[in-house]
Amino acid sequence: MTAIQAIIDGPGTLLMLAIGGLLLYLGIRKKYEPLLLVPIAFGLVLANLPGGGMGVVPAELVQIDEHHYMNLFEIAHEYGIMNFVYYSLIKTGFLPPIIFMGVGALTDFGPMLRNLRLAFFGAAAQIGIFTVLVSAILMGFTPGEAASLGIIGGADGPTAIYTTIKLAPHLLGPIAIAAYSYMALVPVIVPLVTRLTCSEKELRINMKEMDKLYPPKYTIKNLKAVKIAFPIVLGIVISIFVPSSVPLLGMLLFGNLIKEVGVTVARLSDAATGSIMNTATIFLGLAVGATMTAEVFLDVKTIMIIVGGFIAFAISIAGGIVAVKVYNMIAKKKINPLIGATGLSAVPMASRVANEIAIKYDPKNHVLQYCMASNISGVIGSAVAAGVLISFLG
Amino acid sequence: MNELGIAFEMMGVGMITVFVILALVVLLGNLIIRFVNKYIPEVVTQKVQPATVKSGGINPKKMAAIVSAVKTVTGGKGHVSKIEKL
Repeated sequence: MTAIQAIIDGPGTLLMLAIGGLLLYLGIRKKYEPLLLVPIAFGLVLANLPGGGMGVVPAELVQIDEHHYMNLFEIAHEYGIMNFVYYSLIKTGFLPPIIFMGVGALTDFGPMLRNLRLAFFGAAAQIGIFTVLVSAILMGFTPGEAASLGIIGGADGPTAIYTTIKLAPHLLGPIAIAAYSYMALVPVIVPLVTRLTCSEKELRINMKEMDKLYPPKYTIKNLKAVKIAFPIVLGIVISIFVPSSVPLLGMLLFGNLIKEVGVTVARLSDAATGSIMNTATIFLGLAVGATMTAEVFLDVKTIMIIVGGFIAFAISIAGGIVAVKVYNMIAKKKINPLIGATGLSAVPMASRVANEIAIKYDPKNHVLQYCMASNISGVIGSAVAAGVLISFLG
Repeated sequence: MNELGIAFEMMGVGMITVFVILALVVLLGNLIIRFVNKYIPEVVTQKVQPATVKSGGINPKKMAAIVSAVKTVTGGKGHVSKIEKL
């Protein structure tokens, strides 16, 4: 009776349950990033079931004074286990770097090391983040909110969540939904932007033919040694230049190192990509979903985030394409613009989609390895961009 | 207006930082490759000669797969000397 009364009192609850149902449908039936969308959607449903006490409460309720918060036992006792999970694992910024460790252990830097100059296009594709940041401030968002909105353009879920936790935690739900939804829609967005910005002639540029015409200066004689040294050296250098990006990139590179070391630490690599990553994903998804109560989610800002996120995503793809076009104007060795389109993260889906587009125009033109080079550098680029935003506004 | 100024500043600093870091990625990658190529080129492992492996009548393709698996698991240090059916 109490629950029914709560639904009558707040019809927003019904709308939220419908949104939860829609997200579950997209995750289960349409397979849109199901590993995250299903826990997020179910967390949303749990948070909005009247009387369940599973919704995440605003930070002000757990704050005692300016520098003191309730301890975790008090939070669990007062507001339930979901708040315990949120304030211990999410609000502290713990889970996104843990997921990044798993991503690192699944990432192969080989394609990037074989085509290092293509890494620059991963930088160009971060333009969407900063363009939308400026636009969002013009539309009335605070700098922290605008930065969290812009980072969706990096197409990297854990980075978007980590940045939002640091800069605008009240927007965590809608930003996570937008980030993961657009990542799931990469097979739609990349072809759309490519069609609008590239000519057929450009899309027919055959990378392997170009490699034959202009072969690389040297080959890698011991790829395994290079792959082991690379994350160690890069981790040290990045920690010197952009220390605020170290929680994400440091864990990414550590994960990659244990993958490359091989059998001697295979158990660590297996744990990072298996049990640890899966556990982190479950708690991250459920807790992010639980932040989306009707009072927080049903707001005009949510719609602006959904629209702004799409624009950030599209500009990032276009930014990478434009960078390739500019490069092609001055270089003899031409590059297929699809390699610029994959300069955003979303590994490896963006590369797979780009490869399919290339094959459509020329069945012999397999660009997957080249796209992976800019795609992986995009992961580094978006984490660096997040580090810059956090160091400015955090 | 002040916030807009900060936003443009972040845009400039952010894009330059991303380019600088990825330029460092390219530079460091090249340096590591050159260093490794010069000082630690791939260790030449002794290839297992099919004639030296007592295959016990096992299909050559299966034998090649076993040899490859042993090489991968042992990081190139292990060698197959004899394969027999139990």
